[in-house]
Amino acid sequence: MHLRPRLRYLVVLGLAGLVLAAVGVTAAQSKPLAANHSTASTILDGTTDTVTNVDPAGNYDYGSGTVDILIYQHLLDLNAGSTIPAPSLATGCKANASVTVWTCTLRKGVKFSNGDPFTSTDVKWSFDRVNKIHDPSGIWGLISNLKSVTTSGPYSVSFHLSTAQSTWPYILATGAGEIVDHKVYPATKLVANTDVKDLVGTGPYTLSKFTPGQQAVFAPNPNYAGENGKLANGGLIITYYSKSSTMKLDLQKGTIDMAFRDFTPTEYTALGKTSGVTLYKGKGVGIRYLVLNVKRAPTNKLAVRKAIAYLFPRQDIATRVYHGQVQPLYSMPPAGLPGHTNAFGELYGMAPNAAKAKAVLAAGHIKTPVPLTVWWTPSHYGDASADEYTEIQRSLNASGLFKVTLKSAEWATYSKTLGTQYGAFQLGWFPDYPDAEDYITPFYGTKSNFTSNGYSNAKMDAIIKNEEGAKTLAQRLTYIKQAQVIAAQDAPIIPYWQNSMLVVGRSNIHNMKKTIDLDYLMRFWLLSKS
Amino acid sequence: MATAAVRLQRRTVGIRRALAPIAEARGMARTMLWTGVGMTLVFVLLAIFAPLLSPYGFDQYTSGGHRFAQLAHPSHAHLFGTTVQSTDVLSRIVWGAQTELEVVGLALAFGLVVGVPLGLIAGYFGGPFDRGTVLFMDAMFAFPPLLLAIVIAFLLGGSVNSGVLVAAIAITITYIPQYFRVVRNHVISVREEPYVEAARALGAKPFTILRRYVFFNVVQNVPVIATLNAADAVLTLTALGFLGYGVQPTQGAEWGYDVSRAVSDAASGIWWTGLFPGLAIVLLVTGLTLLGEGLNETINPVLRRRSIRQVDFAAPSMDAGAELLEA
Amino acid sequence: MNQGSSLKRYAITRLALVVPMVFILLTLVFLLMRVAPGNPVSASLGGHAPPSVIKAISHQLGYDKPVYVQYGHYLGQIIRGNFGTTISDRRSVGSIILVNGAATLELTFFAMIVAVFVGMLIGLLSGRYRDSPLDTGGRLFGIVVYATPVFFLGLLAQLIFGVWLGWLPISDQASPITQALLQTHTNIFFLDAIIDGNWSALWDITQHLILPATTLGIVYGGVFIRLIRVNVIRTMKEDYIEAARARGIKERSVVYHHAFRNALVPVITVVGLQLALLLGGAILTETTFNWPGLGHELYIYLQNRDYAAVQGIVVVFALVVVAASIVIDFANAFIDPRVRY
Repeated sequence: MHLRPRLRYLVVLGLAGLVLAAVGVTAAQSKPLAANHSTASTILDGTTDTVTNVDPAGNYDYGSGTVDILIYQHLLDLNAGSTIPAPSLATGCKANASVTVWTCTLRKGVKFSNGDPFTSTDVKWSFDRVNKIHDPSGIWGLISNLKSVTTSGPYSVSFHLSTAQSTWPYILATGAGEIVDHKVYPATKLVANTDVKDLVGTGPYTLSKFTPGQQAVFAPNPNYAGENGKLANGGLIITYYSKSSTMKLDLQKGTIDMAFRDFTPTEYTALGKTSGVTLYKGKGVGIRYLVLNVKRAPTNKLAVRKAIAYLFPRQDIATRVYHGQVQPLYSMPPAGLPGHTNAFGELYGMAPNAAKAKAVLAAGHIKTPVPLTVWWTPSHYGDASADEYTEIQRSLNASGLFKVTLKSAEWATYSKTLGTQYGAFQLGWFPDYPDAEDYITPFYGTKSNFTSNGYSNAKMDAIIKNEEGAKTLAQRLTYIKQAQVIAAQDAPIIPYWQNSMLVVGRSNIHNMKKTIDLDYLMRFWLLSKS
Repeated sequence: MATAAVRLQRRTVGIRRALAPIAEARGMARTMLWTGVGMTLVFVLLAIFAPLLSPYGFDQYTSGGHRFAQLAHPSHAHLFGTTVQSTDVLSRIVWGAQTELEVVGLALAFGLVVGVPLGLIAGYFGGPFDRGTVLFMDAMFAFPPLLLAIVIAFLLGGSVNSGVLVAAIAITITYIPQYFRVVRNHVISVREEPYVEAARALGAKPFTILRRYVFFNVVQNVPVIATLNAADAVLTLTALGFLGYGVQPTQGAEWGYDVSRAVSDAASGIWWTGLFPGLAIVLLVTGLTLLGEGLNETINPVLRRRSIRQVDFAAPSMDAGAELLEA
Repeated sequence: MNQGSSLKRYAITRLALVVPMVFILLTLVFLLMRVAPGNPVSASLGGHAPPSVIKAISHQLGYDKPVYVQYGHYLGQIIRGNFGTTISDRRSVGSIILVNGAATLELTFFAMIVAVFVGMLIGLLSGRYRDSPLDTGGRLFGIVVYATPVFFLGLLAQLIFGVWLGWLPISDQASPITQALLQTHTNIFFLDAIIDGNWSALWDITQHLILPATTLGIVYGGVFIRLIRVNVIRTMKEDYIEAARARGIKERSVVYHHAFRNALVPVITVVGLQLALLLGGAILTETTFNWPGLGHELYIYLQNRDYAAVQGIVVVFALVVVAASIVIDFANAFIDPRVRY
């Protein structure tokens, strides 16, 4: 048996190699929680969101935004219970007569978490960075109207805009306006997510450990002055999940205390009935809509678009597919936002109306059933999209007026194609700021329309231009309402539901209701744990 | 004097020789073989007669103007319950059998059509073509099969509309190197056999030799690999479905996709949407594996148990058969 | 002397073959990713930004360059050991491999232990007592276990042991607090806890390992059962076993010292070959158990259509398999001189 010693030798060698390889992979060092960090009052949250970049200049997605509002503050912030930007790092902002220059006065004595003082240099630095870095996944598109930022003294800063923009205060409250420390952040480069000691802000928390795709650990910021509400807990750990089903099981087991975004409708319903956990629900601002291409047959005919609008099964989708977790929506700006009207409901009725649909098709001399291909995407908007579009297909077909073929494409292909090849297609929208304007301009402006559905209406363009330069809120809202009426008449897009802000928490988490409002922001610092 | 009759006779002898072990199979091999045949047959019948056997269509949600309940418990009307889309679980399983077998059948056919001839040619002629193909196939082999299938399915998903075709191609690509490898290695060992040498000496053309002498010898192995690969292909297809690639839900019923949708149900105490499709996968794969293993055991002389051990000149080293199981 | 030089020659030939193979691999990966429709820019900005903006950024990142230019750039980067940076979250692929690769290594290692243990136990017994009820049961177990998709077995395990009985955690590598407090040295949590002597963390980590490692291990144990059983049967027929018997060595000793030992040699080969399968299976296990390994990351990056990330991870997967096959070949050549050519 001369093989034996050799075999043994090999096995030992193999094992040694494995151990060496393991020890060899000493990667990015990360600090554990500070010793004084109290684990008892640390909130354990779960989410299926993902984080692209923590650095504000490099993200434009909800998951990163949720992390950023914990670390950074804005000149104006959307405080709990209000959709109007309120003073935060600035004590106030004012526009000039032409609404092209906004000047803000800064709060004194604010310190970053590393002790650096906050001044106007930091503000200019932060905005300039966003534009200079111009990151592919960055938010710079939101401040494309910003020509330059000037400072006058350490506590005054002015934003010079290319065209009049009455909603600039809202922009200041978005991720594009998060203020970073100019001494730490490079001017032309992002700070890596794992360099947590360099991710300095003035917000309620500091990031103490970040493991991409797995975990973000937050500790209270000792220098936070409580501009947006006092810190009610001793820290926060967000665990990232790739599947909501595992997150649900962990929540039920108590591995995590709460979960925000996102479960499937079935899971939400089940969680609503589970003892020990509470499902909190408030109106949301995320919407879902069907885009109709006005350049491609058959939706290039107004009668066809109107017939679809008459037939749309909003209530069935809301109850059957989403178990009441979404509300039927009859205009692009969701209910609850100032300026919202039920434009589609007024024009086409609140419930599907097959007779009217038939009449409008007949008047347009259109042969029925109209063959219609509807595109949807399987995972990007959640698994329930499959059910949602099956429901739409079923009810359009059931009227006998349409013959719907469903087609799907993965998001990567789908998002690139949209109106360039698809005739009718599913999309969702989450606003950059909670204002009706953000539900009009990106969809109906000839130049700003990103759906490539070919819609263009001079009247609409004029309304949008007037709205952007309007001086008072009341004026703005009049234009917003006019735009919605035209949008319903032309029907290039059919909005059909608005979501709810759904949070699930175990019984040891309190004050959840404080943060549930139309801002759709999870202000973790307001929550407490017992 | 090689008349058609003689040729035919020679061919039937070849087939009979290949089939002989099956008739002679005994003991466990026999049990496995026939259990496998039985189980596979059940699914084949389900697939063929789906329109007759299935209570409803795979995407049917109403009957007689009555809408099915969502996530309903198993009952008389729905033996296995209903899904979140109000479709009948049993019907989806029956129609799913059709999808699975369609994809697997296509995948095997593609794999054989591409892999076997390549292996024959590369093995018989050798030279740079052989070396190049071997290198290429080895490189393909270095990819974890599922990974390769996912990437291919993802790729094709954008341009090919039939999910069945996408899945079949994705699966095929992972198996071609296997067929190629087995066939080529086998051909190399057969190439030097005396009877092939003899044929060559008599001036037979290479393709005649390949067709008449080598092919039949080599092809004996193929059913074993094919059945075992079929089992593996079902697993790959369901894995693709589980991850959301391949057959899309609007195109047909697919068990893996159904299980993935059922994961969220299961955590909420709804067991019937996941358990039944899951079991269907297990049963079909078990059936195919038993069939393949039984075949392997009856054909592979190392494992074979027969009353008389006959000397078989034509059979080259059958290790290839055992090796492919290991690979 | 002769033996040494032939081993050397074998090693050189074998290694020389690796170069073109790796080259082909890299090319395949590149082509696969570039032929794909859609690009990462549209995946992250589509449905939000106008087409003109998407086009501008694609240009900025070089996605509109001719394919051969991109290919040259790609090869150059890899030769310099730079696997690139992900587009969606700016991680270096190198760090993904270190951090998430460690998680995969941890899972795969323990799964392999389970697989080998289950496979050896049942396989050896099945082969030894051929055609007994033990054999029938063992083989049936092997087949059914192989026939069960990892994701289905995982789901059942989660429901039974995690939810019903509540014994074990069902996802992640460690509970949130443990992970937050754990000092990372190797990124293999199991080792990190041992290095720090953090026993409560080790307990937590071990608990988290049990379900995923057992699920993956049992499924692949099925393959080992089949293989080891066949090997035992084959070995028992070998001449030297007959010879040992003829010499009057006790049957027990023949079986344990000769047959089993030799039957296990080919297992090394298969452990290597199985690595490819195991890594593939890890994609499913990792997504099922939210285990932050390479497969899990790959799944997510694939959905984000992050070329750089997918390319990097796939290359690494393939290189690991190639490397494993070389090591296995050497090990075989070392043990059994007949293998060399």
